[in-house]
Parts: sequence; C-alpha cells; structure tokens
Amino acid sequence: MAGQKLPNESPGDDGPPPPDTGMGMTAVAYLFSGMLVWGGIGWLIDHWVGTKGIFAGIGAVVGIGGGVYLIVRRLGA
Amino acid sequence: MIGQSTVLAAEFPPSVEDFYLPSILPWGAHDSYWFTKVTFLIWVAVAAIIIFFLVSYRKPQLVPTKKQWMAESAYGFVRNNIAVEMIGPRGVAFAPYLTTLFMFILLNNFFGIVPLVQISPNSHIAFPAILAVISYFMFIIVGIRHHGFFKYFKTALIPPAPWFILPLLIPIEFFSNFMVRPFSLAVRLFANMFAGHMLLLVFTLGGFAMISSNVWFTPFSIVSWLMTIALTLLEFLVICLQAYVFTVLTASYVQGALADEH
Repeated sequence: MAGQKLPNESPGDDGPPPPDTGMGMTAVAYLFSGMLVWGGIGWLIDHWVGTKGIFAGIGAVVGIGGGVYLIVRRLGA
Repeated sequence: MIGQSTVLAAEFPPSVEDFYLPSILPWGAHDSYWFTKVTFLIWVAVAAIIIFFLVSYRKPQLVPTKKQWMAESAYGFVRNNIAVEMIGPRGVAFAPYLTTLFMFILLNNFFGIVPLVQISPNSHIAFPAILAVISYFMFIIVGIRHHGFFKYFKTALIPPAPWFILPLLIPIEFFSNFMVRPFSLAVRLFANMFAGHMLLLVFTLGGFAMISSNVWFTPFSIVSWLMTIALTLLEFLVICLQAYVFTVLTASYVQGALADEH
C-alpha cells in the first residue's frame, strides 16, 4: 500500500513531513563557503603583499556577509 | 567475538590500523588490501539487495505477501517521503536510484552493529566518496540536460542580485555548489561510521584492557561493556539517520539542478 499514492496531493495526511535537511545544509554550506573562499583569497593577498593576516580577516568578514546575502536571496521567502 | 577481541585487546588504544583488516585472498597476506572483510561485506550488500528485490517481486500479488510488502514499503518510503517530497512529481523518475542508494548505504552502515561483523565498509572513506561522486555527477548531468549547458551553470552560479556584488557572490556559489557538496556528502557519512566504530572499539577493548590489568577493575569493565550495548543502540539511530540524510541531500541537489530560475 505504501507505494500506491503520492503524498504531495494530500500533505499532512501521512504524519509530519520530513525535516528539511536540504535547506539547512545549503545555508551552512553558504556560510562556510563565503568565509573560506574570501578568507582564502585574503590570505593569498596577505602572502603577496606581506601583511600578517589583515586581508584574510577582512576577506572572512566580507565572505560571511556574502554568504548571508546569498542565504537571504536563495532561501528566503 | 570474545576470541577476536582478546586478540585485539593487547593493543588497547584503538587506532586507524584497526580499520585495515587482514587480507582474505590471498589468505593472511600482509599489506594486501585487495580482498578483505570490507570488500567481502560490500559484495554481500550488493548481492543481498539484488536478490531481495528480485525474489520479493518475482510474482507480484495484488494483496502483497510479507516479502513483497517489505520491498514495497522500502521503495514507497523513498519514493514518497524523499523523492516526491523533495523534488516534486518529477521525483518519481529518480526514485529507483534513490532507493538503491538508500538501501545500499543503510545495509552497509548496518554491518557496523551486526554482531560478529561489526565493521561498516562506509568507515573507509573510499566507499562514501564513490557514492558522493556518483550523486555529484548525476545532479550536474541532470541539470545540464534539463537546462542546457550554459543556462544550467548560469542558474547555478549567478544568484539574483545587483551586478556590482556578483563578483563577490559567484565564487561563493561555485565553492558551495560544486566543491563543498560532494566533499560534505562523503565526509559526513564516513566520519559518522568511523567515529561509531571507534567508539564501540574504545568501550569494548577498554573493558578488556581494564579486566586484564587488574581484577578489581572488573565492575568497571562490565560497565564499559554495558556502555557498548547502549552505544550500539545509539549507533543504530545514526545508521538510519545517515542513510536518510545522504539520500535526502542527493534528492535536494537534484531538485536544485531541476529548479527553474527565481
């Protein structure tokens, strides 16, 4: 019986829907990616310019900002 | 199990070496990992799934037999609660792959707590990695076939945003969509199975180490073994959850590849 009907037509009849794992993971992935990508680029600039980490710090903050912006645009209502 | 564990108990703090089991073919050879217990378990899982689904669906009845009911419930669960729920009506096309994936991961994880077997092939990163690579290429190919090459990468990489922050956002999108995804899929499954096996080893072998070092430690050993049993039950939850999460995430990536522009 379980294979016979598609629950999409009648949501809420078959118990609670599964937790939306996909969305949560996407949000976390955006935050980490933002920090890693722009932090990494900042770190490379640090190496190139010779500073001790100021660009990596700025990059990480900017990247997190970008990640939050992406979460709002892609996942927000 | 007791014989096996007493042999292992000599080296108490368990290490990564404990995941490299002795070679079966050639028997007892050192540094040969072509055919070990892990290889054997993988083939057992493959055979078990194929045979189970073939046998249970050989003579399908309108009123299902017990075996047919089990197979249909497994397929129905993945189709309705994962494929259709995440992807929508188009998800039915992906239900066979997702069911295979789910059953394969579930069974392989489950080997981690079967008495006398008690190691999951997924605690070697090679197996989750290959599964993640398959899912990775699948969602990219699905996206390219649905949208066309350029349009797919345009939807995947260019978020709806004003042009002047796009240079900031596109690297983040690329990194999170095409680099973090396969990596996190593989590592999540691998790390859970690895840690679970390690945990069980620590408590089992710890019990043996204590009891053999001092007879007065016997009560602590017994507590340690009771903990092993409790952790095995916890491990069962992790096993089901990780199989579910891997499948749900694959479905969600496919959904993202099929999604139309915002």
